[in-house]
Amino acid sequence: MAAVAIPTATDLQIGGFNFENCRRNVVLKEKGLKEPTAYKTGTTIVGLIYKDGVVLAADTRATEDTVVADKNCEKIHYISSNIYCCGAGTAADTEMTTQMISSQLELHRLNTDRKPRVCTANRLLKQMLFRYHGYISAALVLGGVDSTGPHLYSVYPHGSTDKLPYVTMGSGSLAAMSVFEDGFKPDMEKQEAMQLARNAIVAGIFNDLGSGSNVDVCVITKDKTEYLRTFDEANLKGQRQGNYRYKRGTTGVLKTQVKKFDYEVVGTKVKGEEKMETA
Amino acid sequence: MATLLMKPDETSSYAPKQTYFSPYSFNGGTVLAIAGDDFSVIASDTRLSEGFSIHSRDVEKTYKLTGTTVLGSCGFHGDVLTLTKMIEARLKTYKQHHQKTMSTSAIAAMLSTMLYYRRFFPFYTYNIVAGLDDEGKGCVFSFDPVGSYEREAYRAGGSASSMLQPLLDNQIGFKNQQGVEKVGLSQEKAVALVKDVFISAAERDIYTGDAIVIQLVTKDGIKSERFQLRRD
Amino acid sequence: MFLTRSEYDRGVNTFSPEGRLFQVEYAIEAIKLGSTAIGIQTNEGVVLAVEKRVTSPLIEPSSIEKIMEVDDHIGCAMSGLIADSRTLIDRARVEAQNHWFTYNEKMSVESVTQAVSNLALQFGDDDGDPGAMSRPFGVALLFAGIDEKGPQLTHMDPSGTFIRYDAKAIGSGSEGAQQSLQDVYHKSISLKEACKNALTILKQVMEEKLNSTNVEMATVTPLKKFHMFTKEELEDVIKDI
Repeated sequence: MAAVAIPTATDLQIGGFNFENCRRNVVLKEKGLKEPTAYKTGTTIVGLIYKDGVVLAADTRATEDTVVADKNCEKIHYISSNIYCCGAGTAADTEMTTQMISSQLELHRLNTDRKPRVCTANRLLKQMLFRYHGYISAALVLGGVDSTGPHLYSVYPHGSTDKLPYVTMGSGSLAAMSVFEDGFKPDMEKQEAMQLARNAIVAGIFNDLGSGSNVDVCVITKDKTEYLRTFDEANLKGQRQGNYRYKRGTTGVLKTQVKKFDYEVVGTKVKGEEKMETA
Repeated sequence: MATLLMKPDETSSYAPKQTYFSPYSFNGGTVLAIAGDDFSVIASDTRLSEGFSIHSRDVEKTYKLTGTTVLGSCGFHGDVLTLTKMIEARLKTYKQHHQKTMSTSAIAAMLSTMLYYRRFFPFYTYNIVAGLDDEGKGCVFSFDPVGSYEREAYRAGGSASSMLQPLLDNQIGFKNQQGVEKVGLSQEKAVALVKDVFISAAERDIYTGDAIVIQLVTKDGIKSERFQLRRD
Repeated sequence: MFLTRSEYDRGVNTFSPEGRLFQVEYAIEAIKLGSTAIGIQTNEGVVLAVEKRVTSPLIEPSSIEKIMEVDDHIGCAMSGLIADSRTLIDRARVEAQNHWFTYNEKMSVESVTQAVSNLALQFGDDDGDPGAMSRPFGVALLFAGIDEKGPQLTHMDPSGTFIRYDAKAIGSGSEGAQQSLQDVYHKSISLKEACKNALTILKQVMEEKLNSTNVEMATVTPLKKFHMFTKEELEDVIKDI
């Protein structure tokens, strides 16, 4: 009988999450180990429906505790050509979740030969998030245009969703919502809608410490998707006066060591193709 | 603001409840001081925040104590306010009792005793005292919240201190630099350096931003300067 | 005579109709019974000299202490009820240490004197302040020290009044001694000269014959701070007078 090799976690990754170290980590935590912190996107993300489609917008700051980890990250994720999704929460969770739903939706598109619908993406997302009881920290703004028109959802980490004409999410959601409550009108023009979304993000950038840097915008219409990376540079970096380049040799060399690389001559070959230089 | 935290009771409403009172909060802010030959500079940002919110973009965290001494203080703003008031009162009574203004080193020593007095319920404040000493030389004293202090050539304190201190070590202390001429800082260079490092701190520390106020202490008095930072 | 003003010299804080506090005045009188003490301020430092009344050959002279160190940079000579001075010197020492602890700097002579003067005034026959004296202190003090203003000599009497002097004598021989000080003092007097003058004047006003066991002398200088003269050092000065 042939021996059956039992796969271990290191040589094979099967589907779903691996919970192997849970018990061990609980013990380590009890003994005083500090858990590593994940990148969070403190974040302001928004979406609104206008006359011809959906506008999504996001800031670009990622934080690790009180430190800015990424000054220009992308928070508007691709789901399909007609659907995009803004993510707030743990950066890894929003990225992986949107990618998984994106791939599932692509398979669905290939199987059905139809453009994916936003409600399908929404259903896949909420079912996945609900399965993990909120442990997947992803708060999303899902928007797109399909055969039934423009749609906009907000998706919460526990799996509940709202379908609304304008939504905000993330730590800057209150600042952004105040702008929407003030300025939202149904059936706005594209420029007006983009400006309102931009203003909502800027409110988050300046008034919420978890949000910062620039504004990304994505406009989805029936037959076109515009992804406007760095739509607005809300903050200009200060101009430094000094020169902080070191002169060559400033960094000290603590130790140098020359090692001879021993090798054995296995064989030699004379290249005959090239003509000897005789000139 | 201080917060009252209550642990949600998970079993029954008759079960004993444990309540926690947290008397401190952290309001961010960074202070920085550099001592030169015959001057010292001390600067702070003007942002006052808590959690993810900004309370104010215009709160100076440097406090002019005498004609030759400036205090930089940040941490829990409530404690900063009380501490600065107490120091001011002590400065007045000292002047009344001894008919002279307190020297920078005397203020530093006094602050140390004031902080240690609260050893077991400390003022949650990071303090740096900068000014001129009795010989007219620039001096900087840095403190921990319970009164340990020492005189130094330069020091960063507060929210972005762990980002700024290594940079100051390198640029002023010439740490990890070989074969460079160790020249003293001029007033202009010190002020420019302060602005540059605060620009960098504002890039990465969410609690540092909006603006800085720079106080330049010389024998001719204290000159104040404001410099804008990013506001996100 | 006493009967006529008995109404007003009972309470220690009762003014007489003439505006006098008899108990305080009596206390000042008490100083005049004390041994003579002299202080002279010079540009180099301050000298304090006191006579010790060794009234019996069985007294151990070194146990009579009338010059004391308050801090490194301040000394104090006294005359009157020496027992009362302990409380005052204690306060001076505590205040000086406390000032150093709090501010990491030397307390000025004037501030020390002020602190002691505050204590000197805290007397009363009520129960207001437990631990406070019920009568004025019967001792006068000469504070000698070096601070940022240079050499300083300050006199404080039982009323708490304190005044700075170039040279001052207190105690039983003070009247004559003060006159002599006025005669010998000049602004550029050297410390050595001042030491010699102090002993010379003491010698004049003392009943006993001055020698190295019945006087005490100390100087406060920027270099040596507070310095009590040893027997040998005293003899060295005495032989020249």
